[in-house]
Amino acid sequence: MCGIAGIARRNRGSDAHLTRAVSVDALHRMAGALRHRGPDGSGHYVDGRVGLAHVRLSIIDVAGGAQPLGNEDGSVLIVYNGEVYNYLELREQLARAGHRFRTRCDTEVLVHAYEQWGTAMLSRLNGQFAFAIYDRNTDTIFLARDRFGVRPLFYSLSGGDLVFASEAKALFASGEVAPELDPVGLDQVFTFWAARPPRTVFRGVSQLEPGTCAVWTGGDGLLRHARYYELEYPEAREESADALRDLGDLLDSSVALRLRSDVPVGGYLSGGLDSSITCGLAAKGSPFSLRTFSVTFDDPRLDESEFQRLVANQLRSRHQIQSIGPADVAAVFPDVVRHTETPLLRTAPAPMYLLARLAREHDIKVVLTGEGSDELFLGYDLFKETAVRLFCLRQPASPARPRLFERLYPYLDPRGRRGDFWRHAFLDAGAPDDPLFSHLPRFLLTSRIKDFYSADLRSALAGRDALEDLREALPREFMRWSPLNRAAYLEMVTLLSPYLLSSQGDRMSLAHGVEARYPFLDTRVFEFAARLPTGSKLRGLKEKAILRRWARVAGVVPPAVQQRTKQPYRAPDVPPFFTGSSPDYVQELLDESHLARTGLFEPAAVAGLVRRCRAGTAMGFRESQALVGILSTELWYKQFINDARPLARPAELSRLHQVPAAL
Amino acid sequence: MIRKEEETHQTMDEAAILARTRAYVHDTFLYMRPGFSLGDQDRLLQRGVIDSMGVMELIAFLRSEFGVVVADDDITESNLGTLADIARYVRAHSNGNGRKAAENGAAGAAA
Repeated sequence: MCGIAGIARRNRGSDAHLTRAVSVDALHRMAGALRHRGPDGSGHYVDGRVGLAHVRLSIIDVAGGAQPLGNEDGSVLIVYNGEVYNYLELREQLARAGHRFRTRCDTEVLVHAYEQWGTAMLSRLNGQFAFAIYDRNTDTIFLARDRFGVRPLFYSLSGGDLVFASEAKALFASGEVAPELDPVGLDQVFTFWAARPPRTVFRGVSQLEPGTCAVWTGGDGLLRHARYYELEYPEAREESADALRDLGDLLDSSVALRLRSDVPVGGYLSGGLDSSITCGLAAKGSPFSLRTFSVTFDDPRLDESEFQRLVANQLRSRHQIQSIGPADVAAVFPDVVRHTETPLLRTAPAPMYLLARLAREHDIKVVLTGEGSDELFLGYDLFKETAVRLFCLRQPASPARPRLFERLYPYLDPRGRRGDFWRHAFLDAGAPDDPLFSHLPRFLLTSRIKDFYSADLRSALAGRDALEDLREALPREFMRWSPLNRAAYLEMVTLLSPYLLSSQGDRMSLAHGVEARYPFLDTRVFEFAARLPTGSKLRGLKEKAILRRWARVAGVVPPAVQQRTKQPYRAPDVPPFFTGSSPDYVQELLDESHLARTGLFEPAAVAGLVRRCRAGTAMGFRESQALVGILSTELWYKQFINDARPLARPAELSRLHQVPAAL
Repeated sequence: MIRKEEETHQTMDEAAILARTRAYVHDTFLYMRPGFSLGDQDRLLQRGVIDSMGVMELIAFLRSEFGVVVADDDITESNLGTLADIARYVRAHSNGNGRKAAENGAAGAAA
């Protein structure tokens, strides 16, 4: 896993003297800003108008995989972040077509795949990746990102000049892009939990959408986008007779591909069904004892260590635990925000940050995780909630049906999960013909943070409606899918990709040079799940039904975990900042005069929130998300906007060295 | 707000309960929306003032402030849906007041 960056200036023809050459210093600064993603090496290529930089985490062909990497004559160069798991199969095909390989690494396979198939190569790749290919013959740069958005790619296009990088901080380090707030991006965070690609919270900074690519042409300085993969849900009427066997084969193959590595692969273990499956299959497929890593919480309501131990014992894995208390979250939260590069509504990324650090301390730089399964197999309570809401609204007069709401969210205080108020929050949230029906309760709850907006922020957003923007961006077939498949799609594009895979995934693990791999997010597993009848996934109110059936037959997971109800992963939100004495940064950033200077939130309203947090009375989601949202926004603003420093520290530069592009 | 228990429980009429509950709701659920105008008959849930977790907090307040313990089955919109409903419910369930007082209270609120 790695970090990539580049600068490409438009060809101004006879006005070429107006074009500044790309400076090696700028590339060094960009690489320096990405150093955590690739501590094992770095390199750059520069050629007048175009420069590429790369920092490397060596996983496959540790000795031979330096980048930027070129084809035989150096006319096609790549910087690449990720893994293409079927690279051995592609390499064989390309070799048969006459391509010569100098290394064993997947990077070189992509260069030849581009030569062979051009941009159509993307449909052949099974993996998690973001890359840029500079074709000197055509003066183009081909940018691409994987189907589900596991790996990031940010860019800025100004006056025809393109600047791109794995993280936004590298764009700012280049000196070509100034960090500024995008209020519309911020408003999306406070609606969906994350800005919706291609938008980000930085004005003028975009992210390539998952499943898309773009070609920049030096001649006209334009960036032309294309989608190569669309999520689709061709739901079958009935489950096929071979479904269980097919699912097993797919999971076996998906895990096996993700064990391809020249360094040891470990596993994150949550104690739930999904990571127990990925670790179980990994342990089965490896001759060595697997290393597993878990987060445990001091708060017994959040803790799952009993089940983690159960699974680790069955797998005989070498198990390491990161125990998390409020003070641990508080200590790392500013760094977490620096890595996520976005305001957050939960502290949940912080334990993932500490878990990656733990893995790295044990010399593990590749881990498998169970992420993606809940989206594919309808694991979340949100899907049950959607089913119950539909069921109730079909017979509004039924007194019995709304009682089903009491079976949702079993981890919340049971006294708050019954009665009129609980039901009506769901039943009044929207009508089934609204495309966003499934997610309106969550979106409306999240949007309560907007009550804290300052008058200035409100006026900057006048006329914008984040929900309406999303409705307009949905695929054409969307309303032809079943309501639960619509819900699954919304979950994939609004939460999984821009939040879970980013703020809790890529950014947290690569903050410590650890690459996460996602067996459930194999294209073939997604397509298998998307074809299943809804009843195979959510059976009554039992989530992930087919996965449980398979797990029972396959025996890779202890029986207690096979039948365990989905437990959401949560970290303490308010206690880190208001237990005992608050961290200095909390006092500083939530101070009324500071808030007034930033100008995003109403200081008096925040003072009310702080008063209630101090008193220990701010217990519900509304206030915990407001606290984390406001505090993280202020941390983000301070680190990216106020403290914007265009130059990286010299210490980070001294370790960089040049690698010849084409050997 | 600290006051003697017996004074709270015995001498408070419905208007006072209403005033105190209104102040509490503004302090607790509306402090971030200072311009928000909430009528005594406005539905708290539908107007986005309170959610079911907020109801839990409200119930704790009714207990500590008025000594009224809200039974689980009483957590309904007809009992707690508006400020006026809450005041009527509290009045009816305060110390020394039986069902008759509740009916009087309801009649009084309607007048």
